[in-house]
This record gives sequence, structure tokens and C-alpha cells, in this order.
Amino acid sequence: MMDATARPEIDRPEELVETRLVTWFFLAALGYLFVSMLGGILVALQLVHWNPLQGLELLSPGRWRMIHTNAVAYGFIANGLLGACHWVVPRLTLKPVFSKALSYLIFAAWQIVVLSTAGGILLGEAQALEWGETPVWIDPVAQLGLLLVAINFLTPIIKSKGPMYVTLWYFTAAFVWTFLTYAMGNFIPEYFVSGTSAGAIGGLFIHDLVGLFVTPLGWGSMYFFVPILLRKPIWSHGLSLVGFWGLAFFYPLQGIHHFLYTPIPMFLQYGAVVSTIAVEMVVLTVVVNFFGTLKGVGREVITNLPIRWFYLGMIFYALTCFQCALQVTLTFQALIHFSDWVVGHAHLVMFGVFSMWIMGIMTYLFPRIWGVPWHSRRLSEWHFWFSGVGIFVMACDLIMAGVFQGFWWGALLPWEESVEGSMPFWMLRVFAGLGMFAGQIFFAMNLYLTWKDSQAAKAKAALPA
Amino acid sequence: MAPPTVTRSRKNLWITLLFALAVLIPSLYGFSGKFIEFVAVFRGESDGQFAITPIVNYLLATLGFFCLFGWAIMHGMFSDIERPKQVFLEQQEWLDQQLLAAQTAPSAHRNSAP
Repeated sequence: MMDATARPEIDRPEELVETRLVTWFFLAALGYLFVSMLGGILVALQLVHWNPLQGLELLSPGRWRMIHTNAVAYGFIANGLLGACHWVVPRLTLKPVFSKALSYLIFAAWQIVVLSTAGGILLGEAQALEWGETPVWIDPVAQLGLLLVAINFLTPIIKSKGPMYVTLWYFTAAFVWTFLTYAMGNFIPEYFVSGTSAGAIGGLFIHDLVGLFVTPLGWGSMYFFVPILLRKPIWSHGLSLVGFWGLAFFYPLQGIHHFLYTPIPMFLQYGAVVSTIAVEMVVLTVVVNFFGTLKGVGREVITNLPIRWFYLGMIFYALTCFQCALQVTLTFQALIHFSDWVVGHAHLVMFGVFSMWIMGIMTYLFPRIWGVPWHSRRLSEWHFWFSGVGIFVMACDLIMAGVFQGFWWGALLPWEESVEGSMPFWMLRVFAGLGMFAGQIFFAMNLYLTWKDSQAAKAKAALPA
Repeated sequence: MAPPTVTRSRKNLWITLLFALAVLIPSLYGFSGKFIEFVAVFRGESDGQFAITPIVNYLLATLGFFCLFGWAIMHGMFSDIERPKQVFLEQQEWLDQQLLAAQTAPSAHRNSAP
């Protein structure tokens, strides 16, 4: 980041950020979100025996489930955060990305990767790795894409002078980590190791994808947008750096906590447990820092919609991390392993935290980019409340279902009894999911109407006075 | 007044050292114990090397960040640790003013640092 007294000459500041590309990334993200949520609803319907696509092999629930998880991770969250990066990095470094042409190439290549992954999964070519189901022939393209992303964003960051703001620390690490994590998860188990070792790598991959790709980009974005929207600096920059370096040193060993009670040696499992607890301490510093920033401006959480999205996401983040601390104890793991608790936890992380943040970023940036306010505040409010209440109900429902399932299995009751007992929970999950989906429809409607407003404003401005 | 500052900094140093020891002694004890266990597994079992993959992964990643951390200290990234948060907001405000100026008078726009 530039020092305040040494700002560069910017001849055309309006060209610093390629706003058209930010919009494209966001619209692509929303497109994948709809596909992903549709997939989730279909899987939820299958569980209560209402699958409307019964008998269609290409659209069977097993394939839809993978579309659901891949579309949300690589389609929605990756596109959403890449869009945010195209806004944040040039504004923080006061330098454009390495090449705007490369940015457009990355945009096109990334959509090809995501669509090919979906096609590959539907045609039965999924790679046998959770969240790494991208068919093996797409992996090199995705890896190359991630390298280009790193080059494009790291160039302006490296060129900037002076002490770096915490967002740039998070982003720098994320671009390196994501490249390495993708390579580790998609190539090592496929070509170099097998069996338990591949399982251990798979665990690292799943968790590092969340913690070393989505988390640093998410928190980095929060450190950028929250102070701007609150018009005051973050409570403590020093504490924010404790959060960053804590993540860097403790996070990479955590993944094995997905494989407690497996043939992986116990010292590795204990290592994962200890590092997970250490990360919980780090998370606490981050959450305290953001709530400390609210001092004196707490009302913004009620009146400022993007801030509301951000802080609700942070509350859910603290909850998921508290869950993590419970989950990684061997006693608790024995109860909830393989149950719907894990599904509830995953939804709370991906939708309750990162999707909330991306929605908040979009709620702030779409009107800024298009130069008009949201067409309807009411639709924006409905978007927020349907999403927030929906995910809260779904997460509570699945977490409770998981505890019940754990006790039923622990009591050695017949499997069918646990399925029958789960039915009310799965029924409620369908309605919670439909509520969340309705929230996104309100958002899409509002987005379209706001875009129409912006076109009308442009036409009016073009008229001779 | 100089003396209270000296007293406070000495007190801070002792507190920091105390906390560092409280964290480092058990963690180093735990790490060395587990490392010895790891070497035993690696030597004792023919398939023991599978445990090496995640460990090497972690050590490489941590080594990289340890080097980056050292580099950051050497380049004064933490010398005035709270300054970047002020510079960041000033810079965004300045940039928004530039954008506004460019919108209202595109041809006359020029950068001028406050």
C-alpha cells in the first residue's frame, strides 16, 4: 500500500478498476448460485421422497449433489471473490492489475472450467475426491488459471511500497495458497499416493480449500469494506495481523481432523486437534477486532444493509468456529461423525458466512458501479431476511438432526429407525432451503429493476440539455 | 517523564517473556514428543512413509511463511503497526475524490495529493 504522502500520478482514475469485469464476475456468480441452490433443493426433495427427476440417470441425486457443492464453491464463491478482488486490489495498491486482457481471459477460462466440471460430473467422469470432483482432464486448465490469477493480482501488490494493510497480507497468501492447495488435492492423490495417505491429503484439501482460499479472501475483503462503510479504521491493525499470521501458521495442519478414528497415526490426529483449537483462539481475535470497530457506530448494523450482511456473517463465523472446537474433540466426533451435523456445519460456513459476505459486497457495489441506488429497499430487506432466517433454520435443523442420528446409531437401533426419525428434520430443511431460494429470487428481481433504472438514468443523461 | 516509560517497557518485556515461555515450553515439549513418535512410525512400519506427506506439506508451507514473516520484519512492515489502517482510509477517500473530479470535469482532472 502506498504511503499517504507518496501517491502516484493517476491520469485516469476511472480506469483503475475494470468495473465491467467486476459486474460480469458477480453476475456469473449469481447464475451459479441459482444452479447450486436448485441442486440443493432437488437433493433435499430426494431425501423426503419427492424427487421430481426420479429415474433420470443423468440428473440423479448423487450427481446433483456434486453439482451443488462444486457450483457453490467454484461457481458462486470463486467468481464472487474474484469480482471483489478486481475491485479491492487496484484500489488498495493504486495500480491496475497486471493485465486487463488477462483478467478477461481468466474470466472466460474460469467459466469454461466450472461448466466443464458440471458437464463432466453429469456424464459420470467425476474425480474421486470430495470438492475436487473436477474431471482429471480439467485439472491442468484450472491449475493454469490459478497461476494466471496469482500473476495478475500479485504484480500490483508486489509493486506497492510501504507497510502493507492487512487485506493485502490476506490476499497475497490466498493467491499462493489456492494454487498450492489445488495442486496438492487434485494431483497428489491422483498420481502419487494412494490409500490412507491419499485420504489424509483429501482431508487437507477439503479443509484448506475453505481455510486457505475462501477464508483469507473473505476476511481480507471484510477488512477492506467494513472500515470504508463505517467511515472509521479497524479497531486494531496489530490484532488483525495476529489473526493473519495465526491462520498462516496453524491452519495448514488442521485438515486431518476430518479423519479422526481412521488408520492415520494418532499423533497426526492429535496434531490436527491441537492446531484447530489454536485457530479458534486466532478467530476470537478477529471477531473481537471487528466488534470493537463497531464501538460508537453500532446503529449501522441496523441501518446499513451491507454492514448488516457482513456482521451477520461474522456471527455465523464465530458460531461455526465454536462448532469446530467441539467437533474436533474425539468424544464429540464419535457422536456426530457421518451425521447431518456435518451437513449443517458446512451450510453454515458456505452460505451463512461466505455467501453472506459476498451478498453484502454485491449489495454495496452494484449500485456504486451502476450509479443508481437499489430500485427497492423492501426487496433488499426481503433478500436479507429470507436468506438469514432460512440459513439459521436450516443449520439449527440439521445440527439437531445430527445429534439425534448420532444417539440413534450409538444405541445400535436399526438404520431404518434413524431414517424415519430424520424425516421431520429433512422436511423442515426443504422449506428452509425454499426460503433461502426465494430470497435470491427477490435479489435477482431487484437487480434487474436497478439495472433498468441505471439504463434509464444513462439515457436521460445523454439527452441534450 | 522518562522513568515511568522505562519501567513500563521493562514490565512489558517481562510479561512478554513470561507469556512466550508459557506458550513455548509446553508446545516445544509436545512437538518434540510427537516428532519422536513420527520418526518411530516412519522407521518401524513399511507403510510408515504415508505419514510423511501431510507433515512435509505442513513444514514446507510453514517454512515459507516463516521466511515471509522474517522478510516482513526486516523490511519494517510492523514498525508502525497501526499506521496502515489510517493510510488506507485516507487513500480511499482521496481516490473517491479523484473519481468524482474525473466525472465532473474529465478533461481538467489532475492528481493532487492532500
